[in-house]
Amino acid sequence: MSITRRTILSLAAGAAVGAATRPAFAAGEPIVVGAAIPTTGPLSLSGKQYFNTLTMAEEDINKAGGVNGRPFKLVVEDAGASNSTAVSAFVKLVQESKPSFVFLSSYSTQNLATAPEVIKAKIPVMYAGGADAVADNAGGWMFRIRPTDSVAARGMAQFVKTLKATKPGIMYIQNDFGQGGATAAAKLLEANGITPVGSEAYGQNDKDFSAQLLRLRQKGADVILTFVYPADGALLLRQIKTLGLKTPVIASSGSFLPASVQLLSPADLENVWGVIDTFVDPSVGARMADFTTRYKAKFGQDGDAYGLAYYDGALILAEGLKKVGPDPQKLRDFIAAQKSWEGIGQIYSFDDKGNGAPGVVVVKAKPGTKTLELVERIRPS
Amino acid sequence: MADLIQLMTNGLALGSVYALAAIGFVIVYSATGVVNFAAGQFVMVGTFAGVATLLNAGLPMPIGYAGALVAMALFGALFYLVVYLPLRASPIVTVIIGTVAIGITLQNAALLTFGSWPFRLPSPFEGMMIELAGAVVSVHALAVVVATAVMIGLLWLLLHRTVIGVAMRAVAQDVKAARLMGLRVQGLLAFSWILGAVMAGVAGLMLGPMWFADVNMGDPIALKAFAATVIGGFGSLPGAIAGGFFVGLAEVLGASYISSAYKDLIAFGVMILFLLVRPQGIFGEPIQDRG
Repeated sequence: MSITRRTILSLAAGAAVGAATRPAFAAGEPIVVGAAIPTTGPLSLSGKQYFNTLTMAEEDINKAGGVNGRPFKLVVEDAGASNSTAVSAFVKLVQESKPSFVFLSSYSTQNLATAPEVIKAKIPVMYAGGADAVADNAGGWMFRIRPTDSVAARGMAQFVKTLKATKPGIMYIQNDFGQGGATAAAKLLEANGITPVGSEAYGQNDKDFSAQLLRLRQKGADVILTFVYPADGALLLRQIKTLGLKTPVIASSGSFLPASVQLLSPADLENVWGVIDTFVDPSVGARMADFTTRYKAKFGQDGDAYGLAYYDGALILAEGLKKVGPDPQKLRDFIAAQKSWEGIGQIYSFDDKGNGAPGVVVVKAKPGTKTLELVERIRPS
Repeated sequence: MADLIQLMTNGLALGSVYALAAIGFVIVYSATGVVNFAAGQFVMVGTFAGVATLLNAGLPMPIGYAGALVAMALFGALFYLVVYLPLRASPIVTVIIGTVAIGITLQNAALLTFGSWPFRLPSPFEGMMIELAGAVVSVHALAVVVATAVMIGLLWLLLHRTVIGVAMRAVAQDVKAARLMGLRVQGLLAFSWILGAVMAGVAGLMLGPMWFADVNMGDPIALKAFAATVIGGFGSLPGAIAGGFFVGLAEVLGASYISSAYKDLIAFGVMILFLLVRPQGIFGEPIQDRG
């Protein structure tokens, strides 16, 4: 239940710098940070994780003295499961709470819908949707704390070669994330001389994937790449086994979140590789061990890579607030200038489009278990 | 051929669940005139009743299933008392909006109670597969089809061969006449809600091992069950069954032989076609013939 020395040092260093450049705040007035994230509805499966980690970060930052002695106050609005709710949540935060900074959800469609309001408000935000299109519409105010879908797709395409597969099939959820990932993967595979034999879509509410999977089998797919959300990623893996398919699967990060893995048996995970954001396991190092232990103790569940990205994002933000204060423009410039910020899950390096997480990792369950092991780190060039 | 067998089995299993949910829809609509837009959430509550008895309480399967269905019967009675009775004198639109609001409330109550993580509800046929003409078929999927057929048979016997069933049909046809004949209408209406909830509970228990127990599972079921009811004929039990199987098969076969991207368009497109060309559905009576 302790915060690591690295975290304390980074918070303390920020506090020292911040003390020298104290912002013009009334004593004790909190620095308000907004979070327009899904806490109810179907997207709350991952939304709850980053709600938890942002709350944890808020506590940790305040325990370490806050932002130059002032409390770091998180104000959350539910982004629900629709774009309109996400936009309303952001607008409400901006109008009522006047935050210096806002966290958005990990869903590209919501991020895209909210982007015009972010640009209008001129408030820096962090988000975790993977679609490349979000960064194209970010107007310099949006910072991505997870790998882009094209980075993940590049990782998957690269791993297809490792598996020596020549006839990949693609299965994707029919939205900006899934279509973007599937298109990027298909292009990258073709660039490597591998033509996908088929590409099958499913809807966000679909629960039966047998038709799509059997079509891929008919087309002779020797590996299946999946771009999926967490719960349907688990369901898809189960149905692959139920249909008796032996085809190897390279799955996107959603399938390997703890919420998904707990639904699967070791047999469901046989012959399945995950290309995920980061390997959330105590074996990675002391800071990761500290995070995973404290998260589990606090929330009774395993933390996941999405939640960790938001925790890291909150620490980057806290350092920025201490160093440059709550002025949105200065805060934006501070985040944009971070080129090798050592987080727990990633080394964040923001490019000119605001993409900050450059790498992915490949994991696989140890034979006969659901314990994940690191296969390789991929930092696509 | 093997693929077709697999697709048909999955389509029929899916259709069975839609049919049961649609039957719950129709029983309540026929008796009370209320289109229960919380029908999908009833199925979700059924699945989570199974989570509570089988996973949380760790009861053996026969007791767990029985406990979950008893809980669903109580839930149906409670819904009748707390939602339908207070609203029964209100305009029908108010009652319908009430069911929508209760559906949202149920979903969020389940989220607060069980959390956002889905559960894996066990099946009595866990991991069991059989091979049929080269197709690997899940025994659970076959069991769902058989159990649905049994449930439909039992429901037919209840409605046509028992006093209470005949009385329910009388209330469904004409409440005033039924009351004048001395039938205890309120009790029969309550029984309709209970029966609808139990049917949804059976659907939920069968669905849990196929889809995982997820607090958001109700909405897609409600949409498909609604489409099944419209296609089969609003207020018609055979229509609900036929509509359910049609939607399930159209979804799976359409995705396989036409396009996975447009499979929902097929089911809902057919529903819209029915609304335009034959609004009474396959088995429904023309509106002017009613009464």
